[in-house]
Amino acid sequence: MAQTPPTGGKVSRRDFLKLMAAAGTVMTFAPFVDWGKFLPNPSGNIGKKVKAELPDGTVANVKTFDINSSQVLIYPKSDDPALNKESFRTWQFIRLPKELGGDKNDASAFRVYSMVCLHLWCLWKYWPQDGRKRGECPCHGSMYDPMTGKAFAGPASLQGPPSNVLPKLDLEMDSNGDLWVLPPTWSPNANGVVGFGRYLNV
Amino acid sequence: MGVTLTYENSLVRLFRWIYAGVERTIFMGMKFTFPGRFVSPLGFLGMITFVLFIILGITGALLMLWYEPILDRAWNSVKNINDTIPYGFAMRNIHYHASNAMVMVALLHMYYQYFSGRYKIRNEILWVTGIILGVMTILEAFTGYDIIFSERAELAISIAASLTNSIPIMGPQMREAFFGGGFHDFILRFYTFHVFMLPIALLGLMVVHFPRFLVFDVPMVMAISGAIMITGGVFPVGLGLPFKPDVPPGITVPEWYLTGLYAFLRTMYDKFVTGVAWPGLFIGALLIVPFVDKYKKFSWKDRPLITAVGITSLAQIIVTTYWGFYIDPNTNKALLERLVIDPIFFYLVMILLVPMSFGFTYMMIKLAKHSEANAKLQPKKGGKGSINLSQKWLYALFVVLLAFQVYLNIAAYYAILQGMKNYSLFITGIIMLVFAGMFHLYRYGRALAKAPPPKPTPPPAAKPAPAAPKPAPATPAAEKPLAAPPTAGAAKVGSEQTPQLSQSQQQKHAADGKTATTGPEAKPQTTTASLDGPDKGPKAA
Repeated sequence: MAQTPPTGGKVSRRDFLKLMAAAGTVMTFAPFVDWGKFLPNPSGNIGKKVKAELPDGTVANVKTFDINSSQVLIYPKSDDPALNKESFRTWQFIRLPKELGGDKNDASAFRVYSMVCLHLWCLWKYWPQDGRKRGECPCHGSMYDPMTGKAFAGPASLQGPPSNVLPKLDLEMDSNGDLWVLPPTWSPNANGVVGFGRYLNV
Repeated sequence: MGVTLTYENSLVRLFRWIYAGVERTIFMGMKFTFPGRFVSPLGFLGMITFVLFIILGITGALLMLWYEPILDRAWNSVKNINDTIPYGFAMRNIHYHASNAMVMVALLHMYYQYFSGRYKIRNEILWVTGIILGVMTILEAFTGYDIIFSERAELAISIAASLTNSIPIMGPQMREAFFGGGFHDFILRFYTFHVFMLPIALLGLMVVHFPRFLVFDVPMVMAISGAIMITGGVFPVGLGLPFKPDVPPGITVPEWYLTGLYAFLRTMYDKFVTGVAWPGLFIGALLIVPFVDKYKKFSWKDRPLITAVGITSLAQIIVTTYWGFYIDPNTNKALLERLVIDPIFFYLVMILLVPMSFGFTYMMIKLAKHSEANAKLQPKKGGKGSINLSQKWLYALFVVLLAFQVYLNIAAYYAILQGMKNYSLFITGIIMLVFAGMFHLYRYGRALAKAPPPKPTPPPAAKPAPAAPKPAPATPAAEKPLAAPPTAGAAKVGSEQTPQLSQSQQQKHAADGKTATTGPEAKPQTTTASLDGPDKGPKAA
């Protein structure tokens, strides 16, 4: 490129200036890369654990929550009632049936899965009846295993991973038996992405 | 402008001053042609697309006054527009049908440019920006019908999001960044894309895409607007059911320009391949086509391979579009069974279709060339039939059309009073069409008034001297003021030839790349030429 032949490995004045110009341009615009954080919605980033509040206003407690039953959990809960209707904030809070370990009095007896069906985003729910004991989506009949959140029948089960396993929330029990939702990591390799899925092997 | 203004008041002087000022702007770098007679609309489909874009901009801006992009209000606000706001029904229907028309006309525009071969030789930038514009037009239309937030809209949003999610590595992050974190964000952001980001990007690209010669055919624009209103009156767009996440939705299919893609998705094969890679491949192929087309000629007949590829793509589009719409009517079957398309069957048909349509087209072109060669041997039959109206009949027709318009106006008014919104919209559409007819009659009459001098000398013996029509002073004179100052843009196109060419030849030159072999005979036709193109060949396409 340079008109003058390179002398003793030295960079020509022109090339040096070009390099400086390029470096200057990169430096000028480098801070703006981080500005990309403007785009995602930060309301999903919750830094601390919160109590698992049920629709009736009480906090889920291992001593009072019925075995083999479910409730709707709004998480993260907002002060805006319109936002609390958001499908992407609705979670199915399940206490497992006895045969799956639901009678244990600790957090392991509970599961919290996103209610947004992985197929086309209807809201599925848990059916505790004998012979069912599974999550079922009203729209196209996807069925979910309450133990793992994996779709085992219906269109959602045909989707490749991670879109066949429901996102979940992790729980913790305090000394009163109250349940707390731990801060999630919205990534397919951790708690999963609502409406997208989660890798089961993690 | 052709009229001499004998007395100048200050208003006229103001107009003249503005006109002189506009001459210095980029606007005058583009040469508008108002055709003096009927021109095939195929030549200015791009302009029609732009006009539709403007119609969409106006109606869309008005709809923004009432639409609320909020999770629990979106559908209700659209219902409000449709049912209670006066003329909201008309606005929404025009907006909806114009959006469909815009996608359709843009597609036609693309295929016409493709088959007529005008996309290459210095027009590559126009083609490439055109393809990007087309893709963005579809995105624009797509985001538009999503923000109603009906059942179908939710299905569309979820498919769009799942396709974004399916992109390797960055997928979920991209979904998070562009779509946000839930339905509330989706609606708000799709709205933002729909009303601002995409239109702005479209406008910016259009500045690059506009060729320097534009045809603005008022009757055709009016006719298209009228046709949109009539369609709105006959097929008013519904609202769909509001999306309720715990209610099983009925079966819905996307808009027609996406059912082709939907057919691929319904094979339940990998989402990224079917939903992102295939369309990406199609768009990519379109982008590089002018660089691959190495034929020296322009007519579709002289470029058999390229034409065959075009027809093949059309066949694929038609088949997949239909297939996307088709749902097994047997309601006894499970829903999924009715929806899923057997991928082996589907791809087999697609693959078989390629050599079939390709070979068929290739054969047809050969046959066409053959018959064309034969036809040249035959004596020519008289040119295309034309209707000649005398002045008396012109006046009579004008009066009849005006009377008809008065009647229609009254009818439309009564219809709106009685709540027959469809009917009113339908009639308004006819009014637009009638106006188109009147405008056409008017320019026809003007052409008659200007033309006569050389005509009434048909002594049967001698051939009419070719020199006679040459002076034709009226029509080119009308264009003169536009051509006056050579703008900066004018220097770019014709490089060395430009200076000695008349404006009409520049137009021809820009249109087909051929040099000015046609000579001065082309001159009387200037008003109609420009984008319509010189060779009659592509018109048959």
